[in-house]
Amino acid sequence: MKLRANKILNLTFFIIIITVVLFSQQISAGEQLGAEEIINRRDDNEYIITAYSEAQMIIKSGGRTQVKEMRAWQDQSNSLAEFTNPRDRGTKFLKRDDDIWMFFPEAEDLVKISGHMLEQGMMGSDFSYQDILESDKLTDLYDFELLGEVEYQGRPAYKLEGVKVPGKEVSYYRRIVWIDKERFVGLREELYAESGRLLKEAEVLEVEEIDGRWYPVHTVMENKLRENTSTEFVVKEIDFNIEIDDSMFTLERLR
Amino acid sequence: MFLFRMALKNLNRHRRRTFITALIIAFAILIYILTEGLMLGMTEMSFSNIINLESGHLQVANQNYWDERKELPLKNLIEPSEEIERKIEALSGLQAYTKRLNFSVNLNNGIDELPVKGVGINPEQDGAVFELQKHLVEGRMPQAESSEIIMGAKLAELMDFELGDYAVMLIRTPDKTFNTIDGEIVGLFNTPHPSLNENNVFIPLTTAQSRLDIDNQITNYVLRMESQDSGLTAAEELDRNLEAPLAAYSWKDTAESLVTMIEMQTIETQVILAIILTLAAVGIINTIILAALERMEELGMMKALGLHEREIVYIFMGEAAGIGFIGGVMGIILGVVGLFIFNYYGLDISAFTGGGDVTYGFPISGTVYAGWELSSFIFVFVYGMVVSILASFFPAFWAARKDPVKAIYHR
Repeated sequence: MKLRANKILNLTFFIIIITVVLFSQQISAGEQLGAEEIINRRDDNEYIITAYSEAQMIIKSGGRTQVKEMRAWQDQSNSLAEFTNPRDRGTKFLKRDDDIWMFFPEAEDLVKISGHMLEQGMMGSDFSYQDILESDKLTDLYDFELLGEVEYQGRPAYKLEGVKVPGKEVSYYRRIVWIDKERFVGLREELYAESGRLLKEAEVLEVEEIDGRWYPVHTVMENKLRENTSTEFVVKEIDFNIEIDDSMFTLERLR
Repeated sequence: MFLFRMALKNLNRHRRRTFITALIIAFAILIYILTEGLMLGMTEMSFSNIINLESGHLQVANQNYWDERKELPLKNLIEPSEEIERKIEALSGLQAYTKRLNFSVNLNNGIDELPVKGVGINPEQDGAVFELQKHLVEGRMPQAESSEIIMGAKLAELMDFELGDYAVMLIRTPDKTFNTIDGEIVGLFNTPHPSLNENNVFIPLTTAQSRLDIDNQITNYVLRMESQDSGLTAAEELDRNLEAPLAAYSWKDTAESLVTMIEMQTIETQVILAIILTLAAVGIINTIILAALERMEELGMMKALGLHEREIVYIFMGEAAGIGFIGGVMGIILGVVGLFIFNYYGLDISAFTGGGDVTYGFPISGTVYAGWELSSFIFVFVYGMVVSILASFFPAFWAARKDPVKAIYHR
């Protein structure tokens, strides 16, 4: 009997030891997440297979504020956005792989955006068309390094720095990102030119848990080369993993 | 000779009528000479602007770059080498050469952004090929290796820049990665080449190369030759010596669209001349018919005395040729005087483009002076004579065919 009690005690002790060891291992594993892994986890979190969303774009420029509303359908590589506010009603954008087309309802004209136009802000916002087009995996384009763990807006966060992989075609030479340590959602991002000049700054003002994942629903983007401009992007509604017809992302649909 | 004297005497019979008819021709010729002079002046000025400020007499570039050069790509650049430079230096008639790098820039003043053309220049050599320095209205040229820039005074005004300001130039490396240059504006220019004033920013070559991550590559060599003609022959010679994909392009290749435009303009001037001379021809027909009606009895008499129809036609044609000759001489005298005045005072282009910068596609601004070309004087004189003679043919033939008896009892 005594032997048995001893055995149980031993087993309990063993389990405790195991648990502690395992747990501590898990903790250290969490702490030692590689920079790439953090980025990939954020990207997985924000990655969209298919989605339908309704959003608002608040563009502030030189003391003027414009509000644009839009709805959008997207899958992994394509998206279609249609503006619904009275002024721009019917204006549509279609992104198909590496191309963007724009449709103006008044002129009934279809324009492919290319060359210099790609660097312009979309609908006068601080998001350039080029920003929208860059959809390659970030960890393929940048070498990320964990700069440390910081607290950002009351949230524990990883601060990482990505420097362009030599030879890769990418707009921003260096980017610094803050990623929520627990929710793996981006909180802030700074985009730099090769000269070290800060070009753009994005800040996530609000995240929401939607369908079991944390998703940024209110972001503000600033073009740091221009004074007094900012663009807020507010996601009003988003449904993930909806069914989208193949014909959605065609030029015919754009007209 | 008899017929010729006859024609001359006939011309003398109604001096006022002869004079007025000739005046119409003179007027047509004057208009043609002035238009042609203006065209020549604009052409010469356009070419000299392009040569002195944009393309030099000839350029060396990669063929694949050349076709896309308007897009300002950073592909198909030239790696400067002693071999290329030896071939350039071997050209006869070479005065100087320099390296340049054209690239795309988004010029930023903190409020707005404007796409412009950035030009990397070698400050030590550039002045020997281009006349940019001559047109500086404020400040100085940028110093080598610095981030100093110069731009058109008009562009600076548009972007609210002043001398000493820093302009942010947003550029993209061949990898499409953004880079910036904080260019200090040390000079403003105002050239007679409008597009240069409106959208070009000049910066030392080495600075541009290092910020664009392209080592010491350039887009083109630019050469200054002794003359425009030697530019054309040297381009052919150099083109043969260069290895593909490198090629030599003369100033005419650069100004391809301008050359086409000038050809079109030449046709336009010819059409104007044709229209005006057709009107003059109507005047001549009228004069000949009048003369024929007036001298109907006389014609009948001459035919009765044995003059051939052919000879009567000759008399009238001689008379018309005389009118053409007088008109031609008067026209050329008027034209020379007109051109002299035009050349002395010049013509301010902004005056007839409503003060705007519209130059109908010509790379010119400011004051145009007329051009001279002897061949166009000869052409218009001969053309005026031919039209006069042709115009007289049918009325002369009509008069000559009259029955002598009916002609004598004309009234």
